[in-house]
Amino acid sequence: MINRRNFLTTVALGTASAAVLAACGQPSPAQTGSAENPVTINYTWWGNDDRAERTRKAIALFESKNPDIKVNGNFTDFAGYWQKRATEAAGGGLPDVMQWDLSYLRDYGQRNQLLDLSTVKIDTSAFDKSLLPSGQIRGKTYGIPTSTNAFAVYYDPAKLASLGISEPDGSWTYDEYNAFLTEVGTKSGGALFGSSDYTSVWWMFNIWLRQQNIEAFTEDGKLGFSKDDLKEWWNKVADLRGTPAIISEERITQLLPKSAFGSNATASEVTWDNFMAGYLGDSGAKELKLVPVPSDDPDNLGLFLKPSMLMVASAKTKNKDAAARFIDFMVNDPEVGQIFKTSRGVPASKTQRDGTTFEGTDKLVVDYEKSIEKYLKDAPEPPIVGFGTLEASFKRISADLNFGKLDVNGAADAWFKEAEDLIKQNA
Amino acid sequence: MTQSPTLSRRSTSSDLPQPRKSRQRGADTRAGYTFLLPWLLGFIALTVGPMISSLYLSFTNYNLFEPPKWIGLDNYISLFQDERFLQSVGVTVSYVVFGTPIKLAAALAIAMLLNSKRKGQGFYRSAFYAPSLIGASVSIAIVWKAMFGDSGPVDQSLSFFGINLGGWVGNPSMTMPMFILLTVWQFGAPMVIFLAGLKQIPGELYEAASMDGAGPIRKFFNITWPMLSPVIFFNLLMETIHAFQIFNAAYIISNGEGGPAGSTLFYTLYLYLRGFSDFRMGYASAMAWLLVIVVGIITLIFFRTSKSWVHYSGDSK
Repeated sequence: MINRRNFLTTVALGTASAAVLAACGQPSPAQTGSAENPVTINYTWWGNDDRAERTRKAIALFESKNPDIKVNGNFTDFAGYWQKRATEAAGGGLPDVMQWDLSYLRDYGQRNQLLDLSTVKIDTSAFDKSLLPSGQIRGKTYGIPTSTNAFAVYYDPAKLASLGISEPDGSWTYDEYNAFLTEVGTKSGGALFGSSDYTSVWWMFNIWLRQQNIEAFTEDGKLGFSKDDLKEWWNKVADLRGTPAIISEERITQLLPKSAFGSNATASEVTWDNFMAGYLGDSGAKELKLVPVPSDDPDNLGLFLKPSMLMVASAKTKNKDAAARFIDFMVNDPEVGQIFKTSRGVPASKTQRDGTTFEGTDKLVVDYEKSIEKYLKDAPEPPIVGFGTLEASFKRISADLNFGKLDVNGAADAWFKEAEDLIKQNA
Repeated sequence: MTQSPTLSRRSTSSDLPQPRKSRQRGADTRAGYTFLLPWLLGFIALTVGPMISSLYLSFTNYNLFEPPKWIGLDNYISLFQDERFLQSVGVTVSYVVFGTPIKLAAALAIAMLLNSKRKGQGFYRSAFYAPSLIGASVSIAIVWKAMFGDSGPVDQSLSFFGINLGGWVGNPSMTMPMFILLTVWQFGAPMVIFLAGLKQIPGELYEAASMDGAGPIRKFFNITWPMLSPVIFFNLLMETIHAFQIFNAAYIISNGEGGPAGSTLFYTLYLYLRGFSDFRMGYASAMAWLLVIVVGIITLIFFRTSKSWVHYSGDSK
C-alpha cells in the first residue's frame, strides 16, 4: 500500500514531473487523424467489471464508426480513481476524456484542469434545459451529464409483507416515515431494522433544505444554511437512535463493504435510484420498490435529477476535436444507451433515452423518475470546491452521533468547524 | 532489521587484519563506493530528495493543482487545533505504548522456550516465525477483519465461554485490543533476534548460579536480562519505530476511514487522508515531518537512558 517513503516519493515525483511538463507544455497545433493514421485519445472511468465490459463495447462501436480515432480505455474503482486523477493533474497528464462525478467538478473545473466544452462541438439539444447547469461553473461548461439519478426510498415488499406492514404509498411526512421505521423495528422484534440513520446522508439533508427553499451552498461558495438548520435535521431522529428503528453504527461497520440494506439487515433505505441493480445483486431480494422521500410539504418534495455522472475533457488535451466527438457519441448515441441501460443512471439525452428499451429493473428506475416528474426542481449547482471532503465528514460526524460520542450540538459544532476551515482553505 | 548486535567478547588485536599500504586502501575505498553507488543514487533520488521537498511543502499550502503558497508555520500551528489530529496522536501513542511491550514480552518468552534443546525445535521455530512473514500483508488484514467481525470465529469462541462481546470490528472500544493482538501475533522477527542473543549467553553463568542456589527467576533477572540487554534495546528501538508507522492494517480494517468513531485513526492513516483525499499536501507533509522529529526524539531518549540499563560485555560496569 503505502509507507512514508512511497508517499514522499509520490509527492516528489509529482512535483518533479510538474516542472518537467511545464517546461515542455508549449502549445502544439491541433492534431487530426485519418483512417490510415488515426489519433489516439485516452479515456478513463471508474466502476466494476460490468461497467468495464459495457464501456469496452461502446468504445469498439465508436471506433468502428470513427476509424480516424482510437480510444485507449482504462478504469479503476471509485476511491482510487480520485487519488490517481489528483496525481495526474499535478503532473499535467490528465487523460483526454474522463468519466466524472459532480462532487469533484469544481475542484478541477475551477482550477483550470478541465476543457470548456462550449468551445467544442457537442450536441446538447436533446438535453433537459434544467439539467445542463449542473455541469456548468461561472458560465463555462465543464461537464456533460451522461445520465440522471434521483433520490428515493427503497423498500423490500416481501419483508414488509412478512411483518404484516402495509406498503407505503410514497406520500409521507417525516413523522410518518419515522413511525414506519419504528413499526418495522417493533414488529420484527429487533431482527430487522427500519433503516440506517437517514439523517446521516448528506443528499437527504440537502433535499430537506430544498423542501424549505434553502440552497445548501451560496453562489460565492459559502454555506447557505445555519447551524440551527443542521441541529434541527440531526434531531429529527433523536428519539429513534439506539432503538430497532435505526440500525446501529456498530452493525453497519461490521457489514461493510456491503450496505445494511444490501445485507438484508434493514427494510428500507434512502439513496439514489440507480443503486437498484447493486441492491438486488447484494440482497438477493426478488423485488425492491421505490417511493419518493418524505416531506412535510406535500407539494414540495425537494427532489431533483442529478447527473449521476458527467463526461469531461482535460484542458490540456491535444485532440479537442476527437475528444468532443467521443463525448458527443457517449452521451447522445442511442446504441450506447442500449449498451448501458440504467447502469449509469437513466440516459440524460432524449435521443439516447428514446433509443433504449428498458425492461425489468431498468424499467422500475425509469418509471420512478417519470412518476416524480411533476415535483422535480432544477438540479443544484455543482457543489463547492472540496465538497467530497465535506460529504465524507458529514457521514463521519453523523456516525459519531450514533456511537454516542457526540450529541447533536457537539456534532453540529464539529461539522461547521471543519466546513468553515475547508472553505477558508480553498478560498 | 537485518543485523543483530553481537555479544562476542572483544577481539584481540591479533585477530584484526593487518593495515595495508595506504595506496591500496584508496583503491579499496573507490571500489567500495562504486559498489555502493546504485544504493546511494537511490537513496538520494528516492529518499533524501523527496524528504527535502516535503520539508519545503510542509511550510506551504499545496493542493496538487496550484503552485505551493508559502504560509510559514501555519500548518504546524493548525495541527494542534485539529481535533482529528489530536485523536490520531492518541490512537497511535496508545498502540505504541501497549502494543510494543506486549509484543516484545511475547517474543522473549517464546524465544526462551525455543532456546532449550528438544525434539522438533526447528519446526516450532518456523511455525512461530511464520506469522511475521505474512502479517503485514493485505490478505491478513482482511482475514483479521473477518475473524473479529460479528459471529466471526473470535466472537463465537468467546460466546462459548459465556463472554458476549459481539464483533470487535464495529465496536470503538474493542478495535485497539484487536490491533494490538494483530501486532503481538507478528512477534517472529524480534523473537529470532532474541533467540540469537540467548544462544550467546555462556552456559557456565547459569551453572555457576545454580551452584549458588539461584532459582529460575533470579537467573532471569541477574543473568539473562543483563546479558541480553543490548538485544532488548535493539528490539525495543526497532519495534517502537515500526509501531509508529502502522498503516496497511489500519487502512484495510477501517476501509480507509479510521472508523468506527475514529478509534483506528492512526497517525499515518490521517496523514494519508489529509494528503490524498483532502488534497492538503502541505498539511500532510507537516504531519510527516512532525512524526520524523518525534520518532527522532524518542530514539534519542532511548539512547540516553540506555546507558543505565544496557550492558555490553567488556564494559567496566
